[in-house]
Amino acid sequence: MPVWLREHRWRQTLTAVYLSLPLRGARATPANIFCSERYLKVSIPPFLFEAILYAPIDDTNSTAKIGNGNIFFTLYKKEPAMWDSLTLANADKEKLQYLRENAVLKAQEKAKEETEAKKITKQEHKKYALEATMKLEEAERKRIEDLKEKERQKVAKELELWKNQQKDGDKYKSIQKKGELHKEIEPLKERKSEKMSKTRIPNEGTSKTRLKSTKGCHDSGSIFAQSLKEEQLPAPRAAATIKVNFTPRVFPTALRESRVAEEEEWLHKQAEARRIINSDLSELEDLKEEEKNPDWLKDKGNKMFAMGDYLGAVNAYNLAVRLNNKLPLLYLNRAACHLKLRNLHKAIEDSSKALELLTPPVPDNENARVKAHVRRGTAFCQLELYTEGLQDYEAALKIDPRNKNIEKDAEKIRHLIQGTMQSS
Amino acid sequence: MSAAVGAERPQVVSHAQQALSYTVFDCKWVPRSARLLCLGSAARGTGLIQLYELHGARLELLREIEKPKPIKCGTFGATSLQQRYLATGDFDGNLNIWNLEAPEIPVYSVKGHKEIINSIDGVGGLGIGEGAPEIVTGSRDGTVKVWDPRQNDTPVANMEPVQGESKRDCWTVAFGNAYNQEERVVCAGYDNGDIKLFDLKTMSLRWETNIKNGVCSVEFDRKDINMNKLVATSLEGKFHVFDMRTQHPTKGFASVSEKAQKSTIWQVRHLPQNRDIFMTSGGSGSLHLWKYEYPAQRSKKDSEGSEMGVAGSVSLLQNVTLSTQPISSLDWSPDKKGLCVCGAFDQTVRVLIVTKLNKI
Repeated sequence: MPVWLREHRWRQTLTAVYLSLPLRGARATPANIFCSERYLKVSIPPFLFEAILYAPIDDTNSTAKIGNGNIFFTLYKKEPAMWDSLTLANADKEKLQYLRENAVLKAQEKAKEETEAKKITKQEHKKYALEATMKLEEAERKRIEDLKEKERQKVAKELELWKNQQKDGDKYKSIQKKGELHKEIEPLKERKSEKMSKTRIPNEGTSKTRLKSTKGCHDSGSIFAQSLKEEQLPAPRAAATIKVNFTPRVFPTALRESRVAEEEEWLHKQAEARRIINSDLSELEDLKEEEKNPDWLKDKGNKMFAMGDYLGAVNAYNLAVRLNNKLPLLYLNRAACHLKLRNLHKAIEDSSKALELLTPPVPDNENARVKAHVRRGTAFCQLELYTEGLQDYEAALKIDPRNKNIEKDAEKIRHLIQGTMQSS
Repeated sequence: MSAAVGAERPQVVSHAQQALSYTVFDCKWVPRSARLLCLGSAARGTGLIQLYELHGARLELLREIEKPKPIKCGTFGATSLQQRYLATGDFDGNLNIWNLEAPEIPVYSVKGHKEIINSIDGVGGLGIGEGAPEIVTGSRDGTVKVWDPRQNDTPVANMEPVQGESKRDCWTVAFGNAYNQEERVVCAGYDNGDIKLFDLKTMSLRWETNIKNGVCSVEFDRKDINMNKLVATSLEGKFHVFDMRTQHPTKGFASVSEKAQKSTIWQVRHLPQNRDIFMTSGGSGSLHLWKYEYPAQRSKKDSEGSEMGVAGSVSLLQNVTLSTQPISSLDWSPDKKGLCVCGAFDQTVRVLIVTKLNKI
């Protein structure tokens, strides 16, 4: 049950009501005050004060001041009139309830409206800000464009000026040349007549000058000086050849630094392939085409192994290895053959080689690696090198822990080791 | 890589551009004019020469000449200023010299090579330098030949592979060291990274080196002076600047190399008005403007007492990306400083102006 606060005091003027509400030690915040047109409530749990106001007030403009242990309300009346009392005296419960609810609803509506209004103003502000920045950027861009335009126009003007100068210059020069031409023809004519009167100066000389002078007269724009100069040009060079050596390059394409590494690799691989094919060419000539294919040979070897012809299988694998020594399965299968033939050292060698070639330990070659380890382990054990054998078996187990056979064999070896250790 | 202060850096301004309906392989300014030539190959397998004139910000087509074979490269280097004949190399190995006023019949024609002429250069013309005008062509058949327009049918110098040796494509050629009537040098770059320097006066191989990547373009900073610098660009975005003043008996010429971008550097061209500035064009459609700075001492003595060159340093002045396709050809205008034309494989030719070059 709330504790009602009833020690309020109030006074009024024509337009306003002043209400003072002491709070019995409670702290009030704006959230505790709820006011609508006809309903005023202050709720600070457990304290409660509510009043159904005599007449409607203007709740947007009314104020509440919190301080000094009480709240001071300034309520502006909607209609200026004197109130008989602060609250409606004869209010029954239902009416009270109704009024309360109404007030709450109204307050909510108001709150909604306010948020809406706020949103709208916010959007408008944003728009405005955006437009302002856009304008600024536009201005900046325009400024730069203008600078560039100015530069361009300046430069274009200069160009025009220069062009005109050129044209004028040319005209002037041609006029000058004509003048010079006339001037030059005179002394030249004199020289010619002189030369003619002297005997037999190289014919070439005179004929040349004659030719040139006629040309000069016809060609209005030509410079006489030029034709004289032509006489002074050296004769065409004596033809000769220079032999050139190029930095060797295998590829017909241009040299690029970034491709050099790739090209080296390619060449290397080509060399390797050629070497293999070319080695022992004499022997390989006897073989049929299919017998030169390492895969075919591997299959042949497998079949022979299955039939028990271990030596034949070994031969097949040997030939295959000669053709392509990078296939791990060849070594693996050859190891199995050697085991059967009790060539234990060879078996170990081959299994090791196979394992080497199976270096990236990925799930794909798990099977092969297990087999390699097992075969090597078996070989070691048969050589009575039980510890090494155990190592291999354990490696095999690590790869494939679910293989019962390997486990059993590993156990056996362990026992054997312990047995020998005990006995020694 | 140091760069000039932002506002003072040379800017590359795009002045005009022209979309073409053919692949343009080479573009050249016509000397003493505001006209430029575009050389290329039309879709139907014929060669095209188009003459444009720069009008304001536009290029106006003045003339179009079609030839039976696609044209790969051209030069004005060996012609006089009055004649301005264009020397071209085409896909079939023919060297032709055309009078653009009367282009039906070439002034000079020879089937110089068995395969496409990749690169051409001319020297002795345009009032620059001294000596006989000569044209050098480098071809896919591995030979480099020097021609004199006054001598028909046979080259005056032929640099060919030794008998029986497999040939490498010659991708680029350049003249240099033509400071008097006798001296002349040809530099050739090949696709296996070889750079060879041939001396035409002594008709011998003067120097060779290998820069580990196919050589796309070589150029001396000036053709008509005692050879000073040589820039060689290659695949993989590298270029080398060789100091050609001091040749060491075993080590050859000193060089500095720079890796500019990830793609091939197709061309290098020095600014005619300033031999220490050059522009490289790349396979990613970008142009880089570089400046070479000389070292404090250009040569020093090595342990045995022989002179050895010292290479300087290269700094990037500006770079700009114009296209998504390689820019295969580049030419500075010899008349207006900073004006250049570039042709790219996106079938566009662009006229650019590089500003503030006076302040470098």
